[in-house]
Amino acid sequence: MPPPTDLLQGTLDMLILKAIAAEPQHGWAIAQRIELVSGNVLQIGQGSLYPALHRLEYKGWIRAQWGASENNRRARFYSLTAAGRKHLEAELDNWVRLTGAINLVLESV
Amino acid sequence: MLGEWLSRIRFFFAGRSRAEVDDEIQFHIERQVETYLAAGMSPAEARRQAAICFGGRERAREQCREQRPSWSIESLWRDIRYGVRGLLRSPGFTAVAVLTLALAIGANSTIFSLLSQALLRALPVQDPDQLVVLSFAGDAPGHHHSEGGNTPGHQHEFSYPMYRDLRDRNSVLSGLIASAAVGVGAVWNNRAEPVLAEMVTGNYFDTLGVRPAVGRLFVSGDETADGANPLAVLNFDYWKSHLAEAQVEGKTLLINGTPFTILGVTAPGFHSVVFGRLPDVYVPMTMQRTVQPEWNYLADRKAYWINLTGRLRPGMKRTQAEASINQLYLAVRRTEIPLLVDQTPKDLQQFIDKAHLNLEAGASGFSPFREDARLPLTIMMGMALLVVGMAVVNVASLLLVRAATRVREFSMRYALGATSGQILRQLLTEGLLLGMLGAAAGLLLAPPALNALIHWMSGTTEGRVPFSGSLDWRVMGFTIAATLAASLVFSLAPAVQLWNPRLAEALKQQTDSGRGSSLRFRRTCVALQIGFSLLLIVGAGLFVRTIQNLHNVDPGFATDHVLAFTLDPQMAGYMPATVNAVEQRVIDAVAALPGVRGVAATNDADLRGDDREGDVLVDQDSNHPRPEDKEFDIELPWVSNGYLQTLGVPLVAGRYFTAADTATSQKVAIVNESFVRHYFPSNSAALGHHVCRPHRAATDAVIVGVVKDVKHSSLREPAIATEYTLFLQAEHPGGLMFYVRTWQAPQAAANSVRAAIANIDTKLIVGDLSTLDDQIEDNLLSERTVALLAGTFGGLATLLAGIGLYGILAYSTAQRTREIGIRMALGAKRGAVVRLILRDVLILAGWAVAVTIPVTILVTRAVRSQLFGVSAADPVVYAAGILLIGLVAVTAGLIPSRRAATVDPARALRTE
Repeated sequence: MPPPTDLLQGTLDMLILKAIAAEPQHGWAIAQRIELVSGNVLQIGQGSLYPALHRLEYKGWIRAQWGASENNRRARFYSLTAAGRKHLEAELDNWVRLTGAINLVLESV
Repeated sequence: MLGEWLSRIRFFFAGRSRAEVDDEIQFHIERQVETYLAAGMSPAEARRQAAICFGGRERAREQCREQRPSWSIESLWRDIRYGVRGLLRSPGFTAVAVLTLALAIGANSTIFSLLSQALLRALPVQDPDQLVVLSFAGDAPGHHHSEGGNTPGHQHEFSYPMYRDLRDRNSVLSGLIASAAVGVGAVWNNRAEPVLAEMVTGNYFDTLGVRPAVGRLFVSGDETADGANPLAVLNFDYWKSHLAEAQVEGKTLLINGTPFTILGVTAPGFHSVVFGRLPDVYVPMTMQRTVQPEWNYLADRKAYWINLTGRLRPGMKRTQAEASINQLYLAVRRTEIPLLVDQTPKDLQQFIDKAHLNLEAGASGFSPFREDARLPLTIMMGMALLVVGMAVVNVASLLLVRAATRVREFSMRYALGATSGQILRQLLTEGLLLGMLGAAAGLLLAPPALNALIHWMSGTTEGRVPFSGSLDWRVMGFTIAATLAASLVFSLAPAVQLWNPRLAEALKQQTDSGRGSSLRFRRTCVALQIGFSLLLIVGAGLFVRTIQNLHNVDPGFATDHVLAFTLDPQMAGYMPATVNAVEQRVIDAVAALPGVRGVAATNDADLRGDDREGDVLVDQDSNHPRPEDKEFDIELPWVSNGYLQTLGVPLVAGRYFTAADTATSQKVAIVNESFVRHYFPSNSAALGHHVCRPHRAATDAVIVGVVKDVKHSSLREPAIATEYTLFLQAEHPGGLMFYVRTWQAPQAAANSVRAAIANIDTKLIVGDLSTLDDQIEDNLLSERTVALLAGTFGGLATLLAGIGLYGILAYSTAQRTREIGIRMALGAKRGAVVRLILRDVLILAGWAVAVTIPVTILVTRAVRSQLFGVSAADPVVYAAGILLIGLVAVTAGLIPSRRAATVDPARALRTE
């Protein structure tokens, strides 16, 4: 059973990978970042974030390490692996192609 | 890529501990609280909002766990723990179910192991899949020496010259080998023993890829010329058991009095290219005349005596090779035409036209007895599978009964949110648990059962059987597959009842009243059990009757009080010219012993499956036979002059052989009534006529007596036309079977017989010393084994039917307690209640029997060839089977129905 999400299937994974592409982040920060950057349009169901992180970790795209958070507390930081980076690039390419195609169709009418 | 896998593996094993997940979620919520506090909320409100925002914490935790790859294993583990607890809660049920399965699976694995070893297992040689077994179709006039295993169009014995032609001139085989077995006398450390020698070609071990354990094995250079290679290789088992692993390389082993130099010992596990042949020593083919002095086969194109096996060149297809080598085969056959005598031009044409060389897949090797064993083994396997079928029905009905009492439990689980899939998985897990416990117990039972069976099959003589008591991968695989299939069937049976029951209704009901589909299912189980067991009991009855009939066959002479042994002076190195004299001395010496009534000797042992057949000419010139007499084969034993009197074969005309018939007097013959019927109008008309073999003028003998027909080859086969002649007057000498008729128990004479023979010459080897009755028993081995196993399976079937019927009837009767209570409250007598329930059972049993009988008749027709003196539709066997199964059904029904009838009606009604 896939976790309930309002996002298109698979896009949550891509958003998470993108959110930690620049630097390692902990779960809360990832959710915050996606919400902020999207101008609060994309609300990550908190309950679906962690299963997604576990899934990505199993797939070997991200790795997790305990570290100190910005308020000096123990938090789990997620960072991209090489495989994850490659996967993200492929996903982004796909996304650009897909949205471009959809836009073309929508604009032509 | 590697990193990805490493992380997966790490994740799989370590997973993420529950505490870590908790910490992570805790951190997330606290961070959210901080944010809300910063935004100006009160601490309580911030905490509340953060919790709402996060959603179900437990759910998130669960979902995190479900992402783990080990999740499915964890839930399986939970199912197993739950199943084990359930089974432990009802130990009686568990014990009966596991025991039922263990017996069935154990029987199944035991029989399958025999079947696998006899029919499926490959020879322990290199690349057995490349091996091909050679056989031919077409006429082959000449001398045939066969151990069995031939079928029309597939004769497996070739001549040595033909072998050499095929070996040296073919282009499709990387190697072609030949072998033949013969009993010889071996002397090691001054101890003389009868052993089995295999004559093999020089390339035998190389072609098979068999390595030495000690020294070296034969090479092509060890097969040069007639009598020129007195070399021996020992079999590992013989070396170990008889020579105590002595240093043997270069030492001398006396075989039939001739010194052979031992080259080495074969690797353990190897016996022969012919499955079932267990030689002790191997000698080069060129030593044939030493190990088998009465025959001279090597140069004879008309002596058919060696089994051929080839190894295909790599990449060569069998059909392709067969086409190619047939050209060669026919070419060689054409060169053999001038050797044929007394053949019409048509015969000669057919000698080529009807000839064909077969190359058959030979991974498991040629076997003289495999074809004979195939049907009995298949029958046994079928019976074992029926027992498994019964066990499955049994356990299914037990599970069904158990499931009925668990309707509330399962309804509760549905109510708590379990899906149908989860319920099904639980049922399957429980079923597989039972199945695996049963299989494990069955596999523990199988090796001892197999060993006992093998021990039993080796019989009373020291005969060895080519079976081992260990279970190989094939048996394991088969057992696991059978267990899985069986478990699947019986664990799904209760699902019929439990899968998605009407929840509310089931919860309201105190008990399942046994209506509708589940009742039908239960009745089906009862009917199937009765059907299966009837089939097995009838099968057992037929085979037990067969062995009884065989034991009651009158062979025509008394077989009791007869001690039998073999003796061949040539095994002790006697020259052919002196053999007959020694044998006569043995007869005279044993006859003079106290307590001996008479001594008989023959070269054609009775009731052991031996035959010496050939065609004869009556009152004709041996060199110019009439063609029409050629096709009638008769039995041609060479006997001692006291043979017929000692065995007690009644004389009907003329006279017996006497001491006056000697090696130099007129050659005489005695024929039996079947012989007379074929050639003469009456018994007395046969006297004085001459009988000889075609082209063997020296065999001409005059008929001096006629005796009654007696059984010869086996108890099964009817007597055939026979001409007895004297071994003293025979063409050439050979080993004999001696029969000593005693006044007392024959075994008691064994030691004095041995002593008397040792007194003549200590080198003489007394072989196969046993009673004639024991030898006959050994010859009935196949029938006895089938009868024993069939009887066991029949008994097992009856037992299983009893348990299964009792379980299911006890349950369904208990379900009817209220109905019975009402009936009794309304005035029904106890007897009437018992009758009511029994009538139900018997009607059902009647239906099951009526359906099963035609099936049984159809199935048993397939085993007709294995029966003796009993029809496949024997009414007595069927009646007894039906009676037995009826008795079991009534007994199984009587106990619960009487219990039901003793229930106090008032109480029965109140408990509802």
